[in-house]
Amino acid sequence: MLESLQQLAGGFGIATSVDNLFYCLIGAIVGTLIGVLPGIGPIAGIALLIPATFSLNPTSAIIMLAGIYYGAMYGGSTTSILLNVPGETASVITCIDGYRMAQKGRAGPALAICAIGSFIAGTIGIFGLVAFAPPLARAALAFGPAEYFSLMVFGFVVLSNVTGTSLLKSLMMALVGLIIGTIGLDPVKGDARFTFGSMSLLSGIEFVAVAIGLFGIGEVLANVEKPPALLEGSVRVPQLRELFPTRQDLRKSIKAILRGTGIGFGVGLVPGPAPVIATYSSYLIEKRISKHPEEFGQGAIEGVAGPESANNAACQSAFIPLFVLGIPFAPPTAILLGALLIHGVTPGPMMISEHPQLFWGVIASMYIGNFVLLLLNLPFVPLFANILRIPKRILLPLVILFCITGMYSVNNSVFDIWVMLLFGGIGFSAGKGKFEGAPLLLGLVLGPKMEVAFRQSLMISHGDFGIFTGRPISLAFLLATALFLVIPLFRLGFKRPRKGGSADRR
Amino acid sequence: MKGLTAILIVFIMALSVPANAADFPTKEVQIIIPWAAGGATDLIFRAMGVTAGKYLNKAVVVVNRPGGGGAVGYTDGMKAKPDGYMLTAAVTPLCILPHQTTTAFTYRDFEPILNVVSDPSMFLVRSDAPWKDLREFVDYAKKNPDMITVGNSGAGGGVHLVALAFENAAGIQLNHIPFSGGGPSVTALLGGHVNAVSVTPPEGVPQIKAGQLRVIALFANQRLAMFPDVPTVKEQGLNFTMGMWRGLAAPKGTPPDVIQKLHDSFKKAMDDPEFQAKAKEMSILLSYLGPKDFGALMARDDEFLGKLIKGMKK
Repeated sequence: MLESLQQLAGGFGIATSVDNLFYCLIGAIVGTLIGVLPGIGPIAGIALLIPATFSLNPTSAIIMLAGIYYGAMYGGSTTSILLNVPGETASVITCIDGYRMAQKGRAGPALAICAIGSFIAGTIGIFGLVAFAPPLARAALAFGPAEYFSLMVFGFVVLSNVTGTSLLKSLMMALVGLIIGTIGLDPVKGDARFTFGSMSLLSGIEFVAVAIGLFGIGEVLANVEKPPALLEGSVRVPQLRELFPTRQDLRKSIKAILRGTGIGFGVGLVPGPAPVIATYSSYLIEKRISKHPEEFGQGAIEGVAGPESANNAACQSAFIPLFVLGIPFAPPTAILLGALLIHGVTPGPMMISEHPQLFWGVIASMYIGNFVLLLLNLPFVPLFANILRIPKRILLPLVILFCITGMYSVNNSVFDIWVMLLFGGIGFSAGKGKFEGAPLLLGLVLGPKMEVAFRQSLMISHGDFGIFTGRPISLAFLLATALFLVIPLFRLGFKRPRKGGSADRR
Repeated sequence: MKGLTAILIVFIMALSVPANAADFPTKEVQIIIPWAAGGATDLIFRAMGVTAGKYLNKAVVVVNRPGGGGAVGYTDGMKAKPDGYMLTAAVTPLCILPHQTTTAFTYRDFEPILNVVSDPSMFLVRSDAPWKDLREFVDYAKKNPDMITVGNSGAGGGVHLVALAFENAAGIQLNHIPFSGGGPSVTALLGGHVNAVSVTPPEGVPQIKAGQLRVIALFANQRLAMFPDVPTVKEQGLNFTMGMWRGLAAPKGTPPDVIQKLHDSFKKAMDDPEFQAKAKEMSILLSYLGPKDFGALMARDDEFLGKLIKGMKK
């Protein structure tokens, strides 16, 4: 630990050279821009800029590319809050309360708390990375297909009712997500399923298309329906003083930020859809332990602060498997692995000893990058918050245009645009019946991974279901899931004579 | 400021609009990669594109069209105008996909330009695995059919087919477990959830260097420069070699002089020390083949893989 700190100090020396500070700044700026545009995510952004780093030395190159990665994570929440358009998996949850806050004229505090929460989470995450990287990476290896499946089941059941409205409706939407997730090539045998001979359906339904459709386009349609007078009066023009969080906001948020950081850091170590599980869990926990759960869904600042911090912490811990094991658990770190290979650095068990300068330089630059991003983002808050002053009759068509171009840029696919528009219609009609989009997206993300892990486990065990119950970690998740389902039944039995009912809170 | 200028250039390249063609090439040449950015094929052609641009005097732009295990990109590549401005990365799955599902394309819909890379394939095990060499591994598999679990990067993908073909050649039966890519399969091996994995470098290379994994079977024609102590399967008495190729192709009907011009420029890029250094750093094995030889290789593998997949489906 002491030795690590010494080397970290050396790393700061490398990261604070004028060149590297400059590349860190460029990465952070480009990343923020990429994050703000829906569609172009960190993956495309990094891939696009890899050739530009050929002339740089490896340390500078990785500092810049890593800057794009966490810069994009900072920027991703902006469109969610302002326009209800989630550009990536991680910012779906931010839409729920962030957009409500913006509608109440509190876009400024929502944006600012994202930047502050991300900064705190990033800072704590880096210390976690320095102190615990090797043991945590080894612990992550204990997750095989069986453990992974049980974790997914737990996540699916517990998190599907994330917004806490109606358990029945949430599970219905989650099942729809599961069904949509089966479209495309069968992940185990490679057979085409439900594609009806269409080449475009072979790769399945694109997550971003569904997310932008359900939330962004659906919200635009819902707005179009309102009488024009009501529409223009719905967003209050904020005063300058209201652009930043009040002391009360900060007090409410700080615990949410710390809890979100813990959740995100732990979940980020698990391969796969870490951002989704981290943000959904954080939201659910904040709502459960809140003294005023009725505020959630109406613009509760904790509902923005917690998930945003969880997402950033998950980004930090995603570097642990990459640096220690040489294995990328998430697509953005896979791109970074590619960039490292091009620069002649092979991440893996030998990286810290073979390239200490690069390793500690990049770690230190992450810290500096987080600071740069905070300084960069806070001044933008008033600017972004002013977007909402654009009259809706001009803003709404622009949002649609923005969504369509962003969507096309993801896979250069026109088909994805149609999928997005279709889900816009579905999101609009589902909203009428108080059906939520978040559980559907959860089902869509977890479903295919759950299926793969389930079939892998049974292939390994030659069809014996005992593989799920015979392994301690897997068993623990299954028992936790069972408890979660059974306990409310008992409670319901005891508390029968009560008005309403708690399972269907509306 | 060199970096900043380069960034601007790349942005402008990505946004630029094609113009009319008169004398080849008058605008940038695009290469379709049928997979997402960041994979081996993507990285190789991104690195090569930068160098090839020097010789073509026009930028080479990589376009990712992922989906359907490569089917979406190949369909687009086949449908592109045969004018030499829209090329496609021709990788082994081009000869695999048409045998698995109904696709609009086969390798015959493309004109071969050149082969760039030949990946040797190999089986890895954990260093503490009970088998010391290939003989022990095969003997154990013969006594315990279907018990050794072998991870691969996806059902019907290249390294899965390698494992199937090796099964036939060695007369053994393995339990194949598909993962969503080479990374996850290596992770599962490190965690002890499978007994072996089928991979191509650079997957698993850092773990071998760190002594956590070792090569139990190398299906290449010759030993690898990075692991000179590891014998090939052939040396150990089993006549079996198999690898993956990554080259470039144009849509059918592209004029021969355009193909020649493209071939010459990309060949020069392959020989360029700048690209050679990048290839070495990525530990990829360059293996040049001209249009004719590359076409013959595709035809041969198409037949071989077709038979293999038919056997798998039974």
